Amino acid sequence: MRLLRYFLFRVLQMFPIALFIVVINFALIHMAPGDVSILLAGEGADPDYMASVRESYGLDKPLIQQLGAYIGQLLQGDLGLSFRTREPVIDIIAERVPATLLLAGTALVLASVLGVLVGTVMARRPGSALDAAVTTISISLFSIPVFWLGLMLILLFAVTLRWLPSSGMMSVAGPREGLAYGLDVARHMILPVLSLTAVWLGQYVRLSRSSVSETLAEPYVTTARAIGFSERRVMTGFALRNALLPIVTVLGLELGLLLSGAVLTETVFSWPGLGRLIYEAILSRDTPVIMGAFLIMSFTVMLAALLTDLLYATLDPRVRL
Amino acid sequence: MNPTVIKTIRATARSWTGVLSLALLLVIAAAALAAPVLGLPDPADMAFDLYQPPGAAHWLGTDNFGRDIFARVVWGARVALIVAIGAALLSILIGSALGAVAGYFGGWVDGLLSRVFDIFLLIPTFFLILLIVALFGASLPLTIVAIALTTWPRSARLMRSQVLTLKSRVYVQAALAAGAPHWWVILRHVIPNGIAPIVTDGTILMGMAILTEAGLSFLGLGDQNMVSWGSMIFEGQRHLRLAPWMSIAPGVALLVLVASLNLLGDSVNFAMNPQLRTRGGAPKRRRGVAPPADEPAATAGAPILQVTDLRLEYAAGDRRIAAVDGVSFSLPRGGSLGIVGESGCGKSSLGSALLQTMPNNAELTGGTIRYDGRAIVLDGKPVIEGGRSRIEALRWTRMATIFQSAMNALNPVTTVRRQMVDTLRLHRPGMTRDEATARIGEVFDMIGIPRSRMNAYPHQLSGGMRQRAMIALSLILEPELVIADEPTTALDMLIQDQILGEIADLRERLNLSLILVSHDMGAVAESCETVAVMYAGRIVEIAPTRRIFDRPAHPYSRTLISALPSLTGPLETLDSLPATGSAAAEGGCRFAHACPAATALCRSTPPPAVQLGGNHVAECHYAEEFAAEPVDAAEPTATEEACA
Repeated sequence: MRLLRYFLFRVLQMFPIALFIVVINFALIHMAPGDVSILLAGEGADPDYMASVRESYGLDKPLIQQLGAYIGQLLQGDLGLSFRTREPVIDIIAERVPATLLLAGTALVLASVLGVLVGTVMARRPGSALDAAVTTISISLFSIPVFWLGLMLILLFAVTLRWLPSSGMMSVAGPREGLAYGLDVARHMILPVLSLTAVWLGQYVRLSRSSVSETLAEPYVTTARAIGFSERRVMTGFALRNALLPIVTVLGLELGLLLSGAVLTETVFSWPGLGRLIYEAILSRDTPVIMGAFLIMSFTVMLAALLTDLLYATLDPRVRL
Repeated sequence: MNPTVIKTIRATARSWTGVLSLALLLVIAAAALAAPVLGLPDPADMAFDLYQPPGAAHWLGTDNFGRDIFARVVWGARVALIVAIGAALLSILIGSALGAVAGYFGGWVDGLLSRVFDIFLLIPTFFLILLIVALFGASLPLTIVAIALTTWPRSARLMRSQVLTLKSRVYVQAALAAGAPHWWVILRHVIPNGIAPIVTDGTILMGMAILTEAGLSFLGLGDQNMVSWGSMIFEGQRHLRLAPWMSIAPGVALLVLVASLNLLGDSVNFAMNPQLRTRGGAPKRRRGVAPPADEPAATAGAPILQVTDLRLEYAAGDRRIAAVDGVSFSLPRGGSLGIVGESGCGKSSLGSALLQTMPNNAELTGGTIRYDGRAIVLDGKPVIEGGRSRIEALRWTRMATIFQSAMNALNPVTTVRRQMVDTLRLHRPGMTRDEATARIGEVFDMIGIPRSRMNAYPHQLSGGMRQRAMIALSLILEPELVIADEPTTALDMLIQDQILGEIADLRERLNLSLILVSHDMGAVAESCETVAVMYAGRIVEIAPTRRIFDRPAHPYSRTLISALPSLTGPLETLDSLPATGSAAAEGGCRFAHACPAATALCRSTPPPAVQLGGNHVAECHYAEEFAAEPVDAAEPTATEEACA
C-alpha cells in the first residue's frame, strides 16, 4: 500500500519533467538556424510531405499553439518520419531497442555485480596496499574513453589475434536460429560488452567501496558484531544491505551517462542498436531521428529513475511520502 | 592562505598518486601552452609520407594525410584543456550561484530550484549535447556551453548543501545581524567558505567534459577547425588496420589527462577527509594467546568482571594516543559500576575494550580482563581456547551491551522483531519463530514496550521507545552482565530519568551486573552502587556512590559533582573545567593543569592511589584532606532513592 501510493506519487512527478524535456526539444528546434519545417521533415522532403508537416505542426500559427500541436503529435506517438528512409521515427527506434538492451543490459549486470563484489571486498580492508591499487585502477578504468578502448580491443583480438569478430551482431552468412545463432551473437558481443563493462566497472567498484566502508563504520555493525553474528552475516545483512541504498540511487541516476557509453560503443562495433542509429542519423543529418532518439533516451532515463525510486522504497523502510 | 587549504595541499603532496597526477597535469598544460613555440611541424601540414609508423622523423608516425601525429597530439591538448577549463568554470559559476541562492534563501526558492536541479540531472546529458551540436553545428564554444549547461546541477547541488550547513554559522549570522545585504553575505562569506568541495569536484567535471567532447568528436560532431583527440581517433578508426598508431596515441593522451584529473580529485578528497581511506573495514585479526595453565576453575565467589591494568592505544597517523592508561577495577556478581568522565576521557574506549569491539585503529597494549575468574584478555591479547576466542562464547548470551540507540545502533532496514528473532536464533539455533516471538513479547512486557510495536522499524519508534528496544535486544538472551554505553544521551530529561529508572529496576529483578558508562554524574548516581571517575585514561577515583557524593576525594570528582544542577536547591553558578589537554603531562598529576588546588608536588610527581577505607580509592596527593571536607553542592535527590 505504502509502495503503491509512493509509486503513483512519483509517476505524477514525472509529468512536469517530461513536459520540460519536450519543451527543451521544441525550443531547440525553433532556436536552431534554418527552417523549422526542414528540421522537422528533413532536407529535400517532397513538397506534399512538407505541407503536411506544416499543417500537423501548425507552423504558421503562434508559437504556443505550435507547442500544443507538437505535444499533440508526440502524444500520438508521432515522432515524424526519418528523412533518410521515410519510415516513422518511432518504428525505426523501436526496431533498434532490443540490440541496445541486450548489449547495455549485459554489461550493466556484469559491471554492477562485479563492481559491488570487488568494492565490498576492498571495503573490508581499507588502507591496504591492495585497496590503494584497486582504487587507482578503478579510477583509471573510468577515465578510459570507451570508444577508444573498443578500438584497442578490436586491434588486439580481431585484427592481430583474429580470435573474435570486430563488428556487427551476427556473422553475415551465419546461422539464424537455435543454439548456434545464440553462440554467434554471444561471440559478437564479447568485445563490446568487455569495453562497456570495463569502463562501468571502475564506477561501481568506487561507489560500492565507499558506501560499504561507510556502513561498516556505523554503530549497527558494531552492535551486530557484539551480538556475535558471523562476519559473513554482518556483511550481508547489515553492511551490504544498507550500502545498497546509495548504490541503487547512483545506478539509477547515472543511467543517462551509461547510455552515452553504449552509443559510442555501438558506433565502434557497428552494433545495430540505438547508438548506431544515432550515429548514422548524425552522418546523414537526419534531424527527426536525432530528436526522436533524444526524447526516447530522456524518457528511458526518467523511467529508470522511477524504477530506481521504487526499488529504493522497497529497500529502505524509511522512505515515506 | 587559510590553514585548511595548506593542510590539504600538504596531505595531497604526501600521496604518490597526488604528486604523480599533478606532475602529469603540469606537463600536459605546459606542452599545450608551449605548442606554438616548440618548433613542432604544423599539425595541419600535409606531406607525402602518408601512414609513416612511429620513428625518428615522426615520433608517433604520420596519418592518412601525412600529418605529424606527435604535433597533432600536442595541439590536441589545447583543445582538451580549453574544453575542460571552460566547461568546468562555466558549470561551477552557474551551479554555485544558483546553488547558493537555493540553500541561502530556502523556502519556496529552494523548493523550486532544487526541483530544477533534479530535472536537469535526469536529462541524458550526452544526448542533449548531441542534439544541440547537431542542430546548431559543431563549434568548440558551443560544445563548451552545451557541456556546462548539462553539468551545472552537479555543482549547484553541492553548493546548496554546503550553504545549508554554512548559513547557520556564527560569522554568517553576525554579518546579517550587522545589517549586511544578502548578496554581500553570499558573495563574501558563503561562497568562499563553501567552494572547496566544489573545486575538488571541478577536476571530475573537467574529466567528464573532456570525455564528452572526445565522444562528440568521435561521432563526427567535433569542431572541424581544431585538432581534437576525439576527432583524431574518429579519423584513425577508418585506418585501424593500416595505421593503428593513428588511434593509439590520442587515446593514450586522453586516458592520461582524464585519469590524472580524476586521480588528483581523488587525492585531494582523501587529503581533506583522511578518514575516508581507513574507516570501517573488517575487524582486525588480533593475535590471541592460550589460557594460562594455572588458571583456577571458575568459583562462585569470583567477581564477574575483573580488570587489571588495562591499556588501550589509538594509532592516529604516526602518533599513539593512550585512551585507557592502566585501568583496574573489579565488579562483583550482581554489582553495578558507573564509569563517569567527560568526552575523550577513555570511558567508551574502556567499554569497547571489555566487549572487544574496538575500532581497527585501537589496540589493547596491556592488562588483563577476567570474566568469572577466567581470563578473556591476557597481557592485552584475546584468550583463545579450542580455536575460538573466549569472548565469542560470552557474547550476548552472558555479556550484552546497550548502545546509544539514537546513533543507529539498530539496523535501520529491518524490523525490531526481526533483529531480535535473528539474535535469538543465532544463539539458540533450535528455537522456532513462534517461540522467539513469545520470548520477545515477554521482554517487551518487562521493559514496557507495547507488543504492537514489535513489527516497527527503528525509525518508526520515538527516541525513548527506540532506546527501550535496544535494552530489550540486550536482555533477550538473559545475560549476566550488561554494559550500557551512554544509554540515555540524546533523550530528553524526562525520558532519561524513566529509562535509568527502568534499568535500575531490571537490574534488581534480573540480578544483572551492570556497567554504566556516562558523562552524567547524576545518571550514574541513580543506577549504580559504585562510581568510578575517569580522567585522561585513568580511573582517578572509585568509591561507593553514597561515599563519593558525600566525601569526594579527588578535585576532579568534586568539580563533576558541583557541576550537577540542583532542581531543588538555590541557584548557583555551575563549575566548568578546561578541556583535557595535552597538558595532562608526563611526570605529574594528569589533572594538575586544570586543578584549582595544584601544587608544585602535583606537577612533578604522579599521585599514588590513596586508600581512604571503605573501598574508596583516589589518585590525589591530597586525597585525605579533600575527603575530609564535604562538597558544597546540593546533593542530587536521585542519589538518595537509588542508594538508600
